[in-house]
Amino acid sequence: MPITTVLSPFRAWKFLFQNPVTVRDPLTERPGAPRYRGFHQNDAEKCVGCGTCETICQNGAIDMIDVGLAPKDGDSGLRPRIDYGRCCWCALCVDVCMTGSLSMSNAYTWTDANADAFRFTPGVDKKPWDNDQLGYRRPEGHALHGKDRVEMAELEPEARIGTFDEIVAGYDVARARLEADRCVECGLCVATCPAHMAIPQYIKAVRDGDYERGLALLYETNPFSQVCGRVCTHKCETACAAGHEGDPIAIRWLKRHITDQVPHKDYVRIVGKPKKAAKGEAKTIAVVGAGPAGLTAAYDLARQGHKVVVYEVRKHPGGMPRYGIPEYRLPYDILDADIDVIRAMGVEIKCETRVGSDITMDELKAKNDAVILAIGLHLGRSTRIPGSDHADVRKAVDLLRQVTDEDPVDVPKSLVVIGGGNVAMDIARTMARLQMKAYGEVAVTVTALEDKAHFLADPDEIRECGEEGIDIVDARGPQEVVIDADGRVEGLRTWRVQSIFDAQGRFAPSYDESDERIHPGDMVIEAIGQAAGVDMLGEGLTEALEWNRGRIQVDADGRTSESWLWAIGDCVKGPDVVHAVADGHRAAKSILAAFEGKGDEA
Amino acid sequence: MSKGHDRLKVLTTVGEVFAVAIEFERTARDFYVALAPKVSKSIRYLVEELAEEEQNHFDLFTAMAARADMAGVLAAEIQRPASDRKFSDCVHLPDLGEHPDDQAVLQYALMREHAAMEQYRALADETPAGSLRDLFAYLANEETKHKNELEAVYYDTVHSGGV
Repeated sequence: MPITTVLSPFRAWKFLFQNPVTVRDPLTERPGAPRYRGFHQNDAEKCVGCGTCETICQNGAIDMIDVGLAPKDGDSGLRPRIDYGRCCWCALCVDVCMTGSLSMSNAYTWTDANADAFRFTPGVDKKPWDNDQLGYRRPEGHALHGKDRVEMAELEPEARIGTFDEIVAGYDVARARLEADRCVECGLCVATCPAHMAIPQYIKAVRDGDYERGLALLYETNPFSQVCGRVCTHKCETACAAGHEGDPIAIRWLKRHITDQVPHKDYVRIVGKPKKAAKGEAKTIAVVGAGPAGLTAAYDLARQGHKVVVYEVRKHPGGMPRYGIPEYRLPYDILDADIDVIRAMGVEIKCETRVGSDITMDELKAKNDAVILAIGLHLGRSTRIPGSDHADVRKAVDLLRQVTDEDPVDVPKSLVVIGGGNVAMDIARTMARLQMKAYGEVAVTVTALEDKAHFLADPDEIRECGEEGIDIVDARGPQEVVIDADGRVEGLRTWRVQSIFDAQGRFAPSYDESDERIHPGDMVIEAIGQAAGVDMLGEGLTEALEWNRGRIQVDADGRTSESWLWAIGDCVKGPDVVHAVADGHRAAKSILAAFEGKGDEA
Repeated sequence: MSKGHDRLKVLTTVGEVFAVAIEFERTARDFYVALAPKVSKSIRYLVEELAEEEQNHFDLFTAMAARADMAGVLAAEIQRPASDRKFSDCVHLPDLGEHPDDQAVLQYALMREHAAMEQYRALADETPAGSLRDLFAYLANEETKHKNELEAVYYDTVHSGGV
């Protein structure tokens, strides 16, 4: 070995006493170009933590991290952390950002002795370039994903007003794929959906054209997928990241598209057969009420091999989706298809059986290992204004039930509806169709306390009411049902509502009594609210149960103060199909845990 | 003189107003206390809360009337307001039936609160500025607050989220 080889490493020691070659801030005099892709900026307020930047980053330079923000609907609370050891400043993250919160300054010099400092969270870790105006922004109007929702074909108002045919046609395959293509699979919607449906995954199934996988995914979390594909309140769409700079993805319609593409005969095969309980381990469960909450719980329990009997007072199962939602929004055969799947799991449904008289709660308790109360909100409330006890003053829920059961309905030539919620719109549009069939014209007036901007009805419902010739008169306080000398209803007298809520947002109506109107009508229909019919519980159980401000008190899983009884759905939570489905799952899980001895004994 | 004649007199004293007010609150409290066991347990909370509220008002008015510094005030003569008849009528108990529902109870309670609010407001309007007017204004404000709370409960209960 030559001697130089031995001595060479020691030559490096001479550099120990020289100035370093690197300089602390070498290029301050040379600013970046105006649209230079320099260090990242993020408006942490605008950012919703969708993680699309993380997904698109080709270098794995972005991680979504917890920065201490509480998650909420439409915001994961996470924010992107960028590793400049990996970033190549390609700006794809900026181009794809769903809210436009992410941008790049034109700053490009940053020296630090700590290598870990170059992994930072823009907008959270304060930096000198945070407020720089120059740098790279996604050009106005440009987006990597489509901003506009693919249109859905609907029946025109003239074509639909004379029939109960379904209004919305549903996407064809080509349109559904186009719409599914807009989804960036961020998953913000999943947290907002009460049933936590696998939304990005089933939308991917639409893109892939794999409808059987899509259907299997739907029924993992929602046995009322066909129903929810049509009438879900689709709060998921309000959380959709695409909605920040365009239309939210049509999640509800894509769900419907999957169910439309799979023949009903294949549903049970795809969903799969229920488990068989081990010998002696099958329990019996009674469910009171065959609406979405009760039947979802029944479905889950039956799939685990237990024997479930559902008691339903009406002629047909389905609860409010059948007896409260008109066929032009939800055809009965669609509802029946979902119920057929539930029945195929072994659930027995006994219709026209009134709990409280045909069979008592005490009997149900004695014969079953657990009982679920899912009785909905089927009693209509009345304004109780003068004249409201007249035979031609009807409650919306009663009339809708008559129409569903095809019982004869006296259709008035003109009528007035009181209420601004979805039930008011449903009865107004139902009666308008019956009027069109009977008389060839529509004469329906909807009056509500709220002004239109504060109606509780879905905006689509309000718009479609207008299209169908229904007159909506907002901010009117009902005072009296006017009855003529012959005892016939003549109309509704109202005062203009000046304000409905006080400064704290509480109900405190004030009226302008000088602005009085009579809305003509041969019938007045009240659609102001609903209540649960709890008389069927009987006095003993009513006294035994704990109550919470008029509703049965339940824990987070729906269990009441009586360990054998669960109460779920609209009767304890208020009206909404998908919340009812979620409630059904929770109760079933709680009952299964109780059976396994993980919770209190049922 | 009959009680009816006294009620129709134009002038009354603050003491008389207070006596009717205390009676107003007492009868309401007793009414709700007696009603509570008759209604379904599902709405009993409502009747119990109303009884409690009336008891609070009863205690407040009784304590005020008993204060030594109120003697002069109670003797003062004031104009009997137009709302007095309606207010006094509320002392008579209604028949809500054997098993009234939550809406019937709330409508009755709202009517009472409204009558009381109008009475004290009218008295405040007809009383010259000073501690007496402040007292009536305070009472009117108390009844208004309670009425507002009841209206909020009414909306939540009867309109049930406006479905």
